[in-house]
Amino acid sequence: MSALPGGLEQAFRLAAGELGMCTASWLFTAQLGAAGGQAMVAALRDELGRTFPVLDFVATRWLRGEAPLAPVSERVVERCRGVEQLLVVGLETSFLDPLLPLLGGVRVSILTESPLKVDWRRVVANLGHDVRPVGLADFQVLAGRRSALLTFLYGRHGRTTHVMPAWLRVMGADVRTQFRTIVGWDVLGAPMYVYPRWLFEIPSDDFTDLL
Amino acid sequence: MHPQAILTAILVVTLLLQAAVPRMRLVIVNAGAALACLATSLLGLATTGTLLAEVPWDVLVILVGLGLLSEMMAESRLFGLLAVASTRLSRANPRKVLLAFCVGMYAVSGLVNNLTALILVLPILHILLQLMSVDQRYTSWCLGALLVACNLGGAATPIGDFPAILLLGRGSMDFTAYLSLALPTTLVALVILLLLVLYVVRPDRTLGHGEASSRLSVAVMSALYRNTRLDWRVLAPSAVMLAVMLVGWTVLPRESGMTPELICWLGVGTALLLRPSLGEVLMRRRVDVEAALFLLALFVMVGAVRRSGMFKDVAAMLAELPAPPLAQLLVFLVLAGILTGLFSAGPSMAALLDVAESLAQRMDGPAVYVGLALSVCAGSSLFLTAATSGPMAQALTERAELKDHRGQPLAFGFFHFLPVGMVGFSVILLVGIAFALWRVGF
Repeated sequence: MSALPGGLEQAFRLAAGELGMCTASWLFTAQLGAAGGQAMVAALRDELGRTFPVLDFVATRWLRGEAPLAPVSERVVERCRGVEQLLVVGLETSFLDPLLPLLGGVRVSILTESPLKVDWRRVVANLGHDVRPVGLADFQVLAGRRSALLTFLYGRHGRTTHVMPAWLRVMGADVRTQFRTIVGWDVLGAPMYVYPRWLFEIPSDDFTDLL
Repeated sequence: MHPQAILTAILVVTLLLQAAVPRMRLVIVNAGAALACLATSLLGLATTGTLLAEVPWDVLVILVGLGLLSEMMAESRLFGLLAVASTRLSRANPRKVLLAFCVGMYAVSGLVNNLTALILVLPILHILLQLMSVDQRYTSWCLGALLVACNLGGAATPIGDFPAILLLGRGSMDFTAYLSLALPTTLVALVILLLLVLYVVRPDRTLGHGEASSRLSVAVMSALYRNTRLDWRVLAPSAVMLAVMLVGWTVLPRESGMTPELICWLGVGTALLLRPSLGEVLMRRRVDVEAALFLLALFVMVGAVRRSGMFKDVAAMLAELPAPPLAQLLVFLVLAGILTGLFSAGPSMAALLDVAESLAQRMDGPAVYVGLALSVCAGSSLFLTAATSGPMAQALTERAELKDHRGQPLAFGFFHFLPVGMVGFSVILLVGIAFALWRVGF
């Protein structure tokens, strides 16, 4: 067993809350891999993989020599053509950062809900591009014919996919009709290997566009 | 009952009450001030108008002005970026983190309001502590040393904190004279403190730290603040006007009419005018009303006691002590430190300055004034409750919900700070006494 730094779970929770599960997982594997090689990443997966299934998935991919999925921002922009309002539910900064500059005149808001502790002021300030924070009580004012919803998917398996719990609080039968476009953006590219703690399984056909 | 006893009792009881119930601090001191005005009027010593006229408004102008300038600098994200730079510089090594943050806060506290700087820097340090997976001992010493460094920075310059501002405002010492003596003295105290903490206490000795931890901490911090940029449009006017004010305080004599508070008022006013929209928001919402009201009430109560002749009598008693003047000075400095620890810097400095002025007539003025500023700084560092920054750091740390590597919660309360406070108090007081002895040619 390689010598993992102490208190990794606390550090990972912090990073996952403010960067996103997938982004934080690649960051942790890359840094620990650079410091301690495969043995340390394997130790990371063994220690935290069961608690954080996205980290387990990413560490396994890293150990196989695979790279993170390249964000397909242009395809999101394509789906959002004609959209004036975009509400982002969930957070993956390695995907959002390259997307935001491409969205031009679209007003982007982010739902300030997370199962982890998050300093949303810091998150929003670092997203830049005039992204506005919006709470659960207010997000429906963003609905309309030229509005879109975007969330991140954690792997697709047949007709189902996994999302962060905030999505369940937004997505209902009434909400589905209030937004023109509902985009699900897969950040893993394949199903996870262990029980998807933190995440919820939903039907893929909830989305008008799957990327 | 003797007027002196009545007015002193009002002051002391008020100070004890506000120290015992800090949540009701403003209500208590303002009630005490009103009571002092009533007692002074009934005793025929002075009217409320007279007491209010004796309030050192110049000090309040400087405090409010510098507070606004600090807020403006905070808006430029300067402090957050400095904290992130400290993280990169220290490579998240616990020993270097403690050193970098203490030195950084010492430097910042000499120029701007240390409360504003702490509010912005502490959350970043908390993140770092989470990433480094520290233990209770390190947390207590790191945060404690940071607070003591803030106090030392505040005493290093005539604009850093209330005691020095009072000396500047009252004309007890001019800007250059205070700076040239207090800066090196506080620097010596800081070096001794850091040497003791880093090489004797060694709070990092139980922490494991390796390349993996270092890489991870720096990478996460960099990712969390990846798009934070300095807002030069806000920083430039505030930094330039601070520089102009420093030059003004240094070269313009008081006799020219360009007094310290006027230089401050003009400088801060110009900085705010250069960014008028932000300036208006800051003036409406960010003036530290709590500090201003607290000090106003305090000045009124101290003014009432002064009217009773109490301070003259204390100064005379000190002069009549069967001891040489040097011993009298040492007694005064030690008492000032202890009183500040109990009552905080504002009350003790406001009350003791009259006695200091009397002492300064008989011996080297700078030895008394800078020695007093250092004693007050030592007292502010004794207990977590002795300076406003202490309870604030406690609250922010509670909110951060820090945990050690076993998942046990980390706290920063009165008793966690006490060992740091004892070391800080002793070091600063001894350095202050050594300075006074050196000045009087002992």
